[in-house]
Amino acid sequence: MSARNGNGERHTTLLALTSSAMLLPAYQGAQADAPPEYTELGLRYSKYKEDDIPGRKSFGSGSERYDIDVAQFHLLAPVADSWSVALDVAWEDMSGASPWFVGESADGDPRVIMSGASIEDTRTEVSVNTRYYYDRGNAGLSYTNSDEDDYQSDAVSLDGAFNSADGMRTYAAAISASWDDIEPTQGAVPTNTLQDDKDIRSAWIGVSQIVSKRAIVRFGLSYTYRDGFLTDPYKNRDSRPDERKEWTASAGYRHFFQQQDAALHVDYRYFDDDWDVVSHTLDLSWHQNVNDQLQLIPFLRYYSQDEAEFFDVVADTSQRYYADDYRLSAFGAFTYGLRLRRELGNWSLNLAGERYKSDESWGLYSGDEAPGLVDYWRYSLGVDYVFR
Amino acid sequence: MKYLSACCLLAALCGCTTVQPWERGLLAKPEMQWQPDTMEGVLQNQIHASKEASSGGSGAAGGGCGCN
Repeated sequence: MSARNGNGERHTTLLALTSSAMLLPAYQGAQADAPPEYTELGLRYSKYKEDDIPGRKSFGSGSERYDIDVAQFHLLAPVADSWSVALDVAWEDMSGASPWFVGESADGDPRVIMSGASIEDTRTEVSVNTRYYYDRGNAGLSYTNSDEDDYQSDAVSLDGAFNSADGMRTYAAAISASWDDIEPTQGAVPTNTLQDDKDIRSAWIGVSQIVSKRAIVRFGLSYTYRDGFLTDPYKNRDSRPDERKEWTASAGYRHFFQQQDAALHVDYRYFDDDWDVVSHTLDLSWHQNVNDQLQLIPFLRYYSQDEAEFFDVVADTSQRYYADDYRLSAFGAFTYGLRLRRELGNWSLNLAGERYKSDESWGLYSGDEAPGLVDYWRYSLGVDYVFR
Repeated sequence: MKYLSACCLLAALCGCTTVQPWERGLLAKPEMQWQPDTMEGVLQNQIHASKEASSGGSGAAGGGCGCN
């Protein structure tokens, strides 16, 4: 997702690419430490739409928020006997408005002032990955470039996995670095910088273990260090530290139920950082095979975070650091949805729909409600093809 | 409690009966992978990371974008 309003957050596209490749079947069978048998191709279109912000939470009669179209392309191909290459490209086109700052109404209620005129921007992201498979594991190298009008990022990552002699356990690790440049678009409102940059360094270790013929578990730890301009350049009342240190601990579990012909996925992540943000994320999904061609996947995600130490619903600009960004507030959120996969020979059709709703009262941590909290819908439609 | 959790974790990791490679058919099914749908995972991670204060945890963090 992309916006003209850049913010201080780093994102996880490369993470997802590397982790999805890195954590694949190395754990699960002897055939896993070999390149894919066939070339695979995927295309996906997604529509992301945020709910309007109501008049009671904003000055004026309410406002539309972001509306984003996303197209994705994925190619994974075997090369020689021991290598694979992957290419991922994403295009995003977005328009809408975002919270600019939070003020107080005449009766003392916090209300959002939106960014005003509709924002238009596009983003293109290209990722390439090459992977080498050896007897007891695999190793990959990735490069990702993300380009938009006001933001450019280059990132590299290296990962590896090593299986125990009996193949029951896999040890994995990854490191990454990125270099990002920010040059906010100059419009009707002043920005917090004209040009700046930020860097990120990250490391991750994980171990997975086959528990039985039907179950596998994994644990992971990560550390991420962000350095540079982490303030949101477009928000009116935003000043953040130039450093951020983050830690995560995560666990995952997969269990196949033979009688139901279905797989249960359970994932949990604990997050902590030196901005006093703490969060818990629980993901549940049920992968039901209806027949040989059709799979239905209902899913549910719960997320809760504590607020950053410098967050206030109405920012206190007399402090050294301050922000009224709803994403730094204490809140809880539920995501629920359904995915469908239909096999048609070498083709497969993929459909997905999900709803995200957030509220301060749903969180595990107390805090004042930020009026800018977001709800959204997302729909996806796509096809995959295997060159058998 | 911490020690109990650690013991349970160690027991879970060490006490497993060896599952032979030819017995791993169910584990190798596509729906048993950590992320069966790469593109879906990429998109979901990106959306959540742009709307929440925390991200990462399933690998080394990636590059950024001006996502808002």
